[in-house]
Amino acid sequence: MSIRHHPDESLLLAYASGTADEATGLIIATHMAFCAQCRQNVTLMEKIGGRLLETLPAAPLSRQALDATLARLDEPAPVAVLDPAPSRDGTPQPLRAYLGADLSGVRWRRMGPSLAYKPLFRRGGISAKLLRGAPGTEVGVHSHHGMEYTLVLAGGFSDVTGRYGPGDLQVADSHVRHSPIADPGEDCVNLAVTTAPLKFENLIQKIAGPLFGF
Amino acid sequence: MTRPAEALALDALLRRVAQMRDRAAFAALFDHFAPRIKSYLMRLGTPAAQAEDLAQEVMLSLWRKAHLFDPAKASAATWLFTIARNLRIDAIRREKRPELDPQDFQPEAGPDADDAITLANDEVRLREALKDLPPDQAAVIEQSFFADKPHSQIADELGIPLGTVKSRLRLAMARLKSALGNTP
Repeated sequence: MSIRHHPDESLLLAYASGTADEATGLIIATHMAFCAQCRQNVTLMEKIGGRLLETLPAAPLSRQALDATLARLDEPAPVAVLDPAPSRDGTPQPLRAYLGADLSGVRWRRMGPSLAYKPLFRRGGISAKLLRGAPGTEVGVHSHHGMEYTLVLAGGFSDVTGRYGPGDLQVADSHVRHSPIADPGEDCVNLAVTTAPLKFENLIQKIAGPLFGF
Repeated sequence: MTRPAEALALDALLRRVAQMRDRAAFAALFDHFAPRIKSYLMRLGTPAAQAEDLAQEVMLSLWRKAHLFDPAKASAATWLFTIARNLRIDAIRREKRPELDPQDFQPEAGPDADDAITLANDEVRLREALKDLPPDQAAVIEQSFFADKPHSQIADELGIPLGTVKSRLRLAMARLKSALGNTP
């Protein structure tokens, strides 16, 4: 599987340093499940984090801190989360943790004849959802108030910026105006994260978009 | 090339904690790392008292998870950095951190496969390469870990375009990778 569209250093660093919000973290982690190159980059970034930790000036702790911690060593540990059973259809684990199921078990909500979606979560203005388009589906011309991250999980789509297949991540900011079209052949399934509502240009979508949380 | 004795000693202490539940080794690790973890959390805006509590939690986590430490994959400092990072997300931001699961992919193999000697050499090269970064690149890397701000805000505060911050990050990462012998 060859991946052509990767998160840039800025996004990978946000994930590696722990400053990314949860939705963005989810889409980066899911991309990494597809992408050895980005896994390697994040491993290097964590080593940088370790090295920077070593170089920080020490902030002394109170005198009893060590004793207080030693006294707690024998406390029972919190119950460990069990390793989940392996996915039966190859759904990446970071995503399964939010779905509670494999992709093949998702209960989709229809919106129109050829599009379906599944909201995952929303926090502040940031939302994560799954989108499924039948082959050839056109989403509709839109631009963005904020960022839109789209990760292809199955199938593929194309727009003015290029072609995207499984594992490819599209990053669209407020300068991008596009109308993605699902490839022919199989359904296109995407994980999408938006930091603000999309700006649709078609009147019906303008009205319907907010109803569906776009 | 040898790894700095201090770093090797810390890794050895961590292995003693894992294998022998050695409390003296734990105390030595605590003395070294807890003040740095507290410092890290304070740099990210955590008040001193809370940073101290969390630093203790991180060290408690080290005690409980020491058996998971793999010296061929990471140094003690890197491993603790990831624990501190995750606990901060959990305790301060009250969010989860979406994590990778090795079940999802084949482990990387080949001549670059992890082993303790490769890792030790990498750590030394990384240390040197970080020191040699041009100051403007080093600054944006450091801010990425310690500022808890998006790069757009870091750019605003530096009075430079976001594209410039991103190109500094790209150049810095390319330098660090090539120092470690990875293809950029």
